[in-house]
Amino acid sequence: MSSSKLWWFLHVPQLLLDEQLSLQSQEQQQQPQVLCTSDGQRRRQVVQANRAAVAGGVREGMAEVTASTLLPDLQQRDYDEDREVQVLRRLAQWLHQDIAQIALYPPHGLLLAVHDLQRMYGGYAGVQRQLQRRLNSIAVHYVLAAGYSPLVARLLAQSGKNILSADKAVLQHELGQVSIMQSLLPAQQQQQLQEVGIERLGALLHLPVAELGARFGRNMFSYMAQLKGDLLPPQQWYRPPLRFRECLDLLTEVASWQQLLFPLRRLLQQLEAFLQVRQLSVTELALIAHHRDKRQTFVRVAFALPLWRQRDMLQLVQLQLERQQLKTPALELSVRAEDFSAREVQHGSWLPAQQDAYTQGNEQRQLQALLGKLQARLGEQAVQQAQWVQDWRPELAQQWQTSAAVQLKTAISADLPRPLWLLPEAEPINVSDWQLQWGPERIQSGWWDGQSMVRDYFIALDRWQRQGWIYRTCASYQSNESSEQWYLHGWYS
Amino acid sequence: MAHPLQDLVHKGWVWQGREAVEQLAPEQLVASGWAELDRRLGGGWLRGAVHEVQVLHHFQGELALLLPVLLAQEKPCLWLNPPCQPYWPGLRYQHLKQAPLWLQERDQKQALWAFEQALQSEALGVVVAWFDSIDASGVRRLQQSAAKHQQLAFVITPWQQTTEARAYVNRLQLSWAAEQLQIAVLKRRAGWPLPAFPCNVERHLPERRRLSA
Repeated sequence: MSSSKLWWFLHVPQLLLDEQLSLQSQEQQQQPQVLCTSDGQRRRQVVQANRAAVAGGVREGMAEVTASTLLPDLQQRDYDEDREVQVLRRLAQWLHQDIAQIALYPPHGLLLAVHDLQRMYGGYAGVQRQLQRRLNSIAVHYVLAAGYSPLVARLLAQSGKNILSADKAVLQHELGQVSIMQSLLPAQQQQQLQEVGIERLGALLHLPVAELGARFGRNMFSYMAQLKGDLLPPQQWYRPPLRFRECLDLLTEVASWQQLLFPLRRLLQQLEAFLQVRQLSVTELALIAHHRDKRQTFVRVAFALPLWRQRDMLQLVQLQLERQQLKTPALELSVRAEDFSAREVQHGSWLPAQQDAYTQGNEQRQLQALLGKLQARLGEQAVQQAQWVQDWRPELAQQWQTSAAVQLKTAISADLPRPLWLLPEAEPINVSDWQLQWGPERIQSGWWDGQSMVRDYFIALDRWQRQGWIYRTCASYQSNESSEQWYLHGWYS
Repeated sequence: MAHPLQDLVHKGWVWQGREAVEQLAPEQLVASGWAELDRRLGGGWLRGAVHEVQVLHHFQGELALLLPVLLAQEKPCLWLNPPCQPYWPGLRYQHLKQAPLWLQERDQKQALWAFEQALQSEALGVVVAWFDSIDASGVRRLQQSAAKHQQLAFVITPWQQTTEARAYVNRLQLSWAAEQLQIAVLKRRAGWPLPAFPCNVERHLPERRRLSA
């Protein structure tokens, strides 16, 4: 039963450095670079080194002083475990496109359950091909090992054995070679085992489990069971988040949005992968430039229609950024998106009735695309469409909406002769310049919300024969004639 | 040295006869809604073209003149930089099917860019734009966009100097005289300019009280 189960463990020993290298140019990557930890008082230690640094003699665990003596032009940066776990999470998310069950072993490992995938990818070799194709497209150093239990796969991968055999005997043989130092047992037990002369797991496997358990306690019992594949502890499978938050270290300060476009393309690519997995599209995202003094510049980009392709998003973001200026240089760039919607099926139909709906939907999409472009460059408030509001007060009878909400609506009927134009603010006029033509129409409304009005509206001609919509205020019924004021409020034609 | 005629051609004072030969399909012409105007424009507004309407003052009747075309549109129309806020209840009273999209952009360059984008989209009906003036190359560009995408567009401007040619297909000049809107055709497809003629746009306006009546 348990022999049919199979796990792979992906060990990525220098994930953070690989991630940083992938953002650099070719010649920059040739420079020796290391990541160092400095825990408190202790000296700084190299934890990750790139190929050029290793070629120069730098080793993991070496003191930073020694490393920089070996290579005077060594570039060193601080190792940040949180950042590395983020990258690991992203890697898991990316592999999630092929593999459903992934468990995180931060900061350097991913456990993949492959036993259920064999039928999907056409056998064991098919799964290997699929995963390797995906892994080959990213520049990450990895060790991939198979195991008949999660622990076995993990031990093999962490001891650097690239072995993908599904044969339990082969795996057990390889497991026997793993040293006790890499056994993941508590340090104290490792030492006890070494003291009795057990250097490798092979020797441990030959000992009777019951006696080991009696001597080392229950933990050793379950460890041995896992090592033999008798116990398969449940895993916490990775669930892709429904929030896209990615951050990119720029390594150097960048002073303009134009220079940010390249890293931005990468982030949007990640967003596209994120959306592709879930069959979602996004209508809004936020770009955040992080500055040296911890401040952030926040740029919100809204799309008039849901998008998911990197190309489309980049085009609109680019238009938007042409209007923006980066006031202070940025160190990091991040993209956030939370507003997702399911993708709609877009296909034609053979039925005539549905064909109409299809062309209409198509027009709607084209309109949204146009509005998206206009908004991206001219600002979100640039294009507006009026909406009818049931109110007697002329200035409240319509409401302007940004076109993100524009819909092809059928309007309600209107039966009042209203002008085609309305002045945003009524203009005081001298009524003697006007020739009254029609009226009055009294509008008295709004006593309930403090914007009450009593107005008599007329249609009148000015001296250029233009028809205006003018009114006089009646402040109160007792108002005397002299205090009344005339205003121009709209134009016909 | 350029031919002396060249100068006149540049000013747009010479009508070149070869343009008359082109044959237009009936669906390329959009009825303006005014019989006299249709006759003078050779059948109506040409689709895939930008037409210019010059006005002495805004709100003089230019929108009433364009209303029949706007009313016929099923798709939403774009109003670019109108002199004032369009009033949907009033437009609705005239039986406009869709509230216009209102785009206000002060920067002329950006506004022309938006105009061009609008002409390239199939999603819009008519594009109506208000500009103080557009230079010759700008007009040519718009005209080419409109022709390529078969869009109908109008530019409403104050009265212009006529010493320089523009690539508009039709150029009309509106004025008000004898209590009627007068339309002078400054330039038209395949024909000489025509003197002003009255157009009964009051059909779309509130009734006037006649002084003479």
